[in-house]
Amino acid sequence: MPNSFRTIVPCLARALLLACCLAMPASASALLVTVLKRDGHPLSGAVITAEAETGVPGAAPPLRAIMDQVNLAFVPDVLVVPLHSTVLFPNSDVVGHQVYSFSSARQFQLPLYRGKPYPPVQFDQPGIVTLGCNIHDNMIGYIVVTAAPFYGRSDARGEWQQHDLPAGRYRVRVWHPLLNETQELMQSFDSAAGEKLEFRLSKALRPAPLTGRPHSWDY
Amino acid sequence: MRGAIYSLCLLGCAAANAADWQLALDLRAIDSNGQTSFLDNGQGKLRFDADHEGIQLGRLRAELNQPLGEVFSAHVEASTWDDDDKNPIDLTEAYLEYRPYPTAGWRSRVRLGAFYPPMSLENRAVGWETPYTITPSAISSWIGEEIRTIGLEGQVDWLGTRQGHAFDLQFTGAVFGWNDPAGTQLANHGFALHDRQTTLFGRVGAVQTDPSKPKKELFHEIDGRPGYYVGAQLRYLDRAVLNLLHYDNRGDPTVEAKEIRDMAWDTRFDAAALRIETGSGWTAILQALDGETSINPFRLLKWKFDSQSALLAKRFGQHLLTARYDSFEVDFNWDSVMPAGEDGHAWTFAWSYERGENWRFALEWLQVDSNVPMRATQLAEPPFAQESKVELSARYTLRGKF
Repeated sequence: MPNSFRTIVPCLARALLLACCLAMPASASALLVTVLKRDGHPLSGAVITAEAETGVPGAAPPLRAIMDQVNLAFVPDVLVVPLHSTVLFPNSDVVGHQVYSFSSARQFQLPLYRGKPYPPVQFDQPGIVTLGCNIHDNMIGYIVVTAAPFYGRSDARGEWQQHDLPAGRYRVRVWHPLLNETQELMQSFDSAAGEKLEFRLSKALRPAPLTGRPHSWDY
Repeated sequence: MRGAIYSLCLLGCAAANAADWQLALDLRAIDSNGQTSFLDNGQGKLRFDADHEGIQLGRLRAELNQPLGEVFSAHVEASTWDDDDKNPIDLTEAYLEYRPYPTAGWRSRVRLGAFYPPMSLENRAVGWETPYTITPSAISSWIGEEIRTIGLEGQVDWLGTRQGHAFDLQFTGAVFGWNDPAGTQLANHGFALHDRQTTLFGRVGAVQTDPSKPKKELFHEIDGRPGYYVGAQLRYLDRAVLNLLHYDNRGDPTVEAKEIRDMAWDTRFDAAALRIETGSGWTAILQALDGETSINPFRLLKWKFDSQSALLAKRFGQHLLTARYDSFEVDFNWDSVMPAGEDGHAWTFAWSYERGENWRFALEWLQVDSNVPMRATQLAEPPFAQESKVELSARYTLRGKF
């Protein structure tokens, strides 16, 4: 039995892959976005969104996501969610936190708490929601709420790849919490014209938040 | 004031939210050639002089932070220093804080009680201690010795970093009383380098046996005139902080308080501090203080004082290496007739190591050179002195909730 498993499983996988390829629309294409710092080195962790210029397709299906608080930091530091997603804000620290946002995309407050006493918060407007803790001023986190159907974050090579992109024109935007750019990073992408886009920052990034400093010190 | 602070403690205990407490024992091993300390009414610049070597109590500190509902909290710090203070255990700070949520990029904060003005960028650890050295700079030593806000402070923050900017801005204003004797110590012994914070109901060290001199009890209201300070802070991300403060206790030197053999000293100063931290673990702190204090009507007797310090520290994991230079000066306007000024400078080198959540070890070498003419006129000693010490600190902190 184990031997037959070894032969059947790869066969099934290949058949499934073939079925997927056949089911794909003939016009679907791929998009590879590369984000480079001013010095040409890759920028990892950049948020990349691809929004159809015609408005079709719309936002990706909403998610139920988690923004945790661990060791006096928001985890993850940046969370990307589609429009109408809900985010739970557990506090895994032993100390209490007061989470707030006064960003125009979503304003809310979670009064002093530990654990997870509150229901998830829903995000119905696209934009960048900056999170803070009213007790620990050095805590800062971001939720990027996007109306784009395709989104992701750049990897260690500064790359983000999206397969199966329906043919058409897209607005591709790049954002990172340490960006120092004066203008929004946005380029149009036409799937008929190519598969690659490159963004190169015109200014150096802001310095990353300090780590390793004792939490008991004044910020 | 005493009644208000006790009420504040009771309010804290009655609240439903859990309180955080800390208890820290800091023991020292001292090797010092210091002259008789200012704490023992001498003109020595160090807390532990040549008569206080060996094992000493650095500080036994208890701290309580009690949330009171959503936006209020109470903070109380009590310490014992095992010297000849008036009370064996006493408070250094006790205040109520109001901290509402930010709205539209702005946040306000209010403190009521007894606390330090937002001035030292060096004393950033709990208990208003510096994590870089055992002994704070001459400026912070003086603030800990003579200055305390006993009153109401308001702050407004513009939270730029929460709005995509690289800067935050803070404005502070305070009205206070019970700090009229501030300046007494500068006139009597000048600057010193020590971590001995004066307690709210205590005095600076041993009882003053000379009946012609003040009792060194610094937190009294004498003239019924409130003092004030205003300040601003500019912050670049979490990397750099610039602090500015103007302080004036608006003392009326015509008013005396016989029970403490002191008067309202008219003390005002400007302070500036800059702290820069890098991602590779370096910290630089520059501090400057410039002010004057006077007594008698028409400011006939006036002491001008200034001090500067530069600190450079490098963090290696849990280890911290620090070097600091301090200079200080007091000028008395009748120095030619009756010397009462001084000048001096100090070098401090320190290593500290945080071991886990509970232990902190530190080793410090400090040398202070000072020229104090009062040593000759009052003590028949040479005016110049070079004092140095080596100090080892072992501190254990317990934390909990109730």
